[in-house]
Amino acid sequence: MRAAWTIAKREVRSYFSSPVAYVVLLAWIYVSGLSFYTMVYWFAGNPSTGGSDNPLTLFFGGTVLFWLPLLVFAPVMTMRLFAQERTSGTLEALLTSPVGEVAIVTGKLMAAMVFWITLWVPSLLYVWIVSRYGDVDLGTVASSYLGILGIGFFYMSWGMLMSALAPSQIVAAILTFLVLGLLFTAGIMQFVVYDDFREVLGYVSVWSHMSDFAKGIVDSRWLSFYATMTALAFYLTVRAVSWRRVRG
Amino acid sequence: MLEVEGLTKRYGSREAVKGISFRVNEGEIVGFLGPNGAGKSTTLRMITGFLAPSAGRVRVADIDAVADPFEARRHFGYMPEGVPLHEEMRVHEHLRFRAELRGIRGRAKLDAAVERSLQQASVEDARDRIIGQLSKGYRQRVGLADALLTDPPLLILDEPTSGLDPNQIRAVRSLIRGFAGKKTVFLSTHILPEVEATCGRVVILDAGRVVGEGDPRELRGGGGAVVVRIVGRGEPSAYEAAFGSLGEVTAAIEAAPSGPSLVVAKVRTRGEDASERVFEAAVTAGLKLRELSVEATSLEDVFAALTTEEPTNEEAA
Repeated sequence: MRAAWTIAKREVRSYFSSPVAYVVLLAWIYVSGLSFYTMVYWFAGNPSTGGSDNPLTLFFGGTVLFWLPLLVFAPVMTMRLFAQERTSGTLEALLTSPVGEVAIVTGKLMAAMVFWITLWVPSLLYVWIVSRYGDVDLGTVASSYLGILGIGFFYMSWGMLMSALAPSQIVAAILTFLVLGLLFTAGIMQFVVYDDFREVLGYVSVWSHMSDFAKGIVDSRWLSFYATMTALAFYLTVRAVSWRRVRG
Repeated sequence: MLEVEGLTKRYGSREAVKGISFRVNEGEIVGFLGPNGAGKSTTLRMITGFLAPSAGRVRVADIDAVADPFEARRHFGYMPEGVPLHEEMRVHEHLRFRAELRGIRGRAKLDAAVERSLQQASVEDARDRIIGQLSKGYRQRVGLADALLTDPPLLILDEPTSGLDPNQIRAVRSLIRGFAGKKTVFLSTHILPEVEATCGRVVILDAGRVVGEGDPRELRGGGGAVVVRIVGRGEPSAYEAAFGSLGEVTAAIEAAPSGPSLVVAKVRTRGEDASERVFEAAVTAGLKLRELSVEATSLEDVFAALTTEEPTNEEAA
């Protein structure tokens, strides 16, 4: 796994030497900051809301302002992983080194996760702000970030798979957006469907997963859902990379 | 050092490489020559393991490269077509990354490998520059440094001089020639002079088949055929009559920019004493000669003769 680490280091460096990373980071800070501000403002104006709700629970996955940007940013964050190396030809150099596909895919997923985690560092500021003016349950904060981490693996691994399959970065981004968008939409369908199907939809619904995590509820079903989705995308990415050797 | 046997690559029903076999011995510099689209890159990609062969065997340093690609990859350095490099990195960062990937461990060893390969490819002066800002000649040499990182016994270079200007071409060629005897080099090219300038042996590929193999000088000899060129005054028919018994003759009046027009005749004949016999025949016939020279058959002629049997441009690399 030394090779995976080597690849991850290079990928992270490459992420942050491209303007895309900074555009995504700034855009996310802007959008999330704006939504956080709105929530604080709303809670300040409606002190009676009280209860278990506070700006943080609402911030972590409680509104569309949280999900919409992420559904757009996740594809942008992962589109280059394989597609760029294929276009520039460096994938040929990588795949003719004494390094296995599993190490390559591991390294790239690690790098995407570093970027994903970087995206959430500024949100610690919101936790700090709320803690200064009210009570923050650290357990709830921890479970919120656990949910974020799970969704990160899920989103980044599927974006990586699309990048390995698509002929170009832009196609990879569109495919990722479609796949994640479809799953997201299927998830929120649980609020409009009233039959047995509802439970199945709830299983894939990141929105309701996140509202559990944001309340401090760590449901292992959701975590195993993320683990399964990540493992599946990981396996398929490894297959996609080796399949290209045979097909050319 | 490198053995290829019955190597085949099929894309659907189309065969890009049709069961080719050849070998490269230790210390040789071998050119892999063929027109664009002959299947050179596909072959190199199968040797290096980027593509899986549809059939056939590849052995690198006596290791089965298809069954044990990781072990085989430790024995060669590969420069893919177009020299793909990480544009955003500095030269030494890129080389360090590649060295780590190829299993060199420890700061001191990594530094030593990077510095040695920079020096071997004579790009020390570019070590701190960003790859995206390098000229093509430098990129090519950085690619060469990349291939040299592990000091491998075999170098596989895909079109090492493509896209370079004449000075850069000379520099890269002399670098490659410098490996003679120290490393085995297998390089592909579609440029004939490249083979003549750098290679001790050539394998000619056309439309996915090996159509010729040997010493570039021997191939050029074309089995001892020699063309003698004669320039003189008179009528072309007189020349044809004089040399008809020696071999195939072409003679024509060539308009000169100034002075009288001259006849240029070419006699295709055989033997070491070809020019002497042509001279004697000219004297006997009383021809007034101005020039007599022996034209070497160029490798271009050999190449054209070997590769023009079927159209080759349809198939992409």
